[in-house]
Amino acid sequence: MKSEILYPGAFPMVRVELSAGETIKAESGAMVASSPTIDVESKMEGGFLGALSRKFLTGEKFFFQTLRASRGPGDVLLAPTVPGEIVVIELDGLNEYLVQKDGFLAGAETVKIDSQMQSLSRGLLGGEGFFILKLSGRGTLILNSFGAIHRIELKPDQEYIVDNSHLVAWSATTSYHVERAAAGWVASFTSGEGFVCRFQGPGVVYIQSRNPGGFGHWIRQFIPVSE
Amino acid sequence: MNSNALCFGADCPATGLPCRVDVTPIGIAVRFEDRSAAQDDAEAVPFDRLSLSAGGLDHDQLVVRYGSEPDARVLYVNDPAVIHALRGTAPNFVTGELDAAASMVRRKRRTRRISWIAVGALLLSLGTVLWFGSDLVVNLAVDRIPLEWEQKLGEAAYHDFLGRQTVIKEGPAVDAVGEMTRRLTDQIPDDPYRFEVTVVRSDVVNAFALPGGYVVVFTGLLQKAESGEEVAGVLSHEFNHVLRRHGLERVVKQVGLMTALSILLGDQQGLIGLTRQIGGELLTLKFGRAQETEADVTGLRLLHRAKIDSNGLVRFFERMAEQQHEPVEMLSTHPMSAARVERLKAEAAALPRQVVEPFTFDWKQVQGSLNVSR
Repeated sequence: MKSEILYPGAFPMVRVELSAGETIKAESGAMVASSPTIDVESKMEGGFLGALSRKFLTGEKFFFQTLRASRGPGDVLLAPTVPGEIVVIELDGLNEYLVQKDGFLAGAETVKIDSQMQSLSRGLLGGEGFFILKLSGRGTLILNSFGAIHRIELKPDQEYIVDNSHLVAWSATTSYHVERAAAGWVASFTSGEGFVCRFQGPGVVYIQSRNPGGFGHWIRQFIPVSE
Repeated sequence: MNSNALCFGADCPATGLPCRVDVTPIGIAVRFEDRSAAQDDAEAVPFDRLSLSAGGLDHDQLVVRYGSEPDARVLYVNDPAVIHALRGTAPNFVTGELDAAASMVRRKRRTRRISWIAVGALLLSLGTVLWFGSDLVVNLAVDRIPLEWEQKLGEAAYHDFLGRQTVIKEGPAVDAVGEMTRRLTDQIPDDPYRFEVTVVRSDVVNAFALPGGYVVVFTGLLQKAESGEEVAGVLSHEFNHVLRRHGLERVVKQVGLMTALSILLGDQQGLIGLTRQIGGELLTLKFGRAQETEADVTGLRLLHRAKIDSNGLVRFFERMAEQQHEPVEMLSTHPMSAARVERLKAEAAALPRQVVEPFTFDWKQVQGSLNVSR
């Protein structure tokens, strides 16, 4: 499987080349175009209960689509729903990533997808909800963000602070806890940050340059209210 | 080579260098994946240079540190076999660190479990309170609805209904119903309502009361009743639905608990929404069993205070209960049952004996007037 990001920037697509018999799972609705040799199947990743828990717990889609090069090699064009960059990560079987629910775009068949419960404080205040996706295994993993994607590299014990709604993915070797942005409660909220995540290395953290919730809030003021 | 760990350090990438950690009799041996066979000299680290702890997002990885800056290394091991091997071969000071890390992980997990259980219990108890406390919330909300609102609500539905009906404005039937109403309302202490009873021409054997004291009696009921006392009994029952604000309770329940809560919190918008939402639904409102029983019992007592023979109500309900199988509208909005009649009889028997004062009208004449004017 080879992948290439087309039109990098706000409105990218990813082109995935599949050799005969190879498959890729993608978020439901992610396929834009494909060679005629590719078959689209719908699959409940992790079985019915797994799909159910993913749907209700993480808010992710119930079905993933599986794109299979069943009639010879071909390529697939995939794109996310929201404007924003795409990043390709090669999983080595050792590094595992935790991804907030909207961050997963596609992954090789050998990539394992689980939903994982966060701790109470992270779930309540971390901005990703109580359940996130845990991606492990080997192979290509394709993530998408809202806005540009930025990679932060952390050495052992190095710390970095990320606003809670800008997280896309982070490696399982990092650790984080949620804390107030400023020393006082009032300052935390009047500064507009509220809660932030204090990450500790080693590992990498992918963040997005725009906050989807903040964007929604901003755009709401322009939507005419009908009686 | 099967890697089982990631190595972090100054010269390693941020995602770590895949490596293989093996436990030897004197320490650990670390081999890196990307070194050529010629360089395959495993890094041997004796036990006394190792420092162990738990790490990673869920504290589910063994973190092994050795060396000093700038060559310090941190290994993240996610392989149970390495931990087992360490337990088997490492000296006490190493296994001690391992035990400390393990108990730290257990403590963290327990705290997490307890906090989730606490949240679950909190949600459960909140749900229970809402489930069982909903009647309480409804009653509190109903108490907060001002009388003017109730009257406006009832009046709108009342006029809306009467506009589509043939109203009998005068005659013996109207006079008779007026007399019953006077006798009854005179006996309501501190009556905040101005009861208004209208006779409507219809074969329906029924009467209904709207919030605010607006009552409709159908000629069908007057014709079916064998005495004025029977009609007075039904009126007394309806008046008590109003006095107990049963209609409002049903309305608040129907529009939902959230509206009830918003009324409780003083949101007048909630009330405006309420009047809009229910519209004509007031007319088809069905009372609950508990509300019917309450109106039966308090209705009976009102009849007793007004010195009207309360057997009228009992007899009428008894006849209605016998006709359960007949399509009588009265039964659909006021389901009759033998148990209900029995209860009424027992309540009536418990009231002190008294001399009843008959009505001034002749019931047969009243009924006759209905046939004539048709």
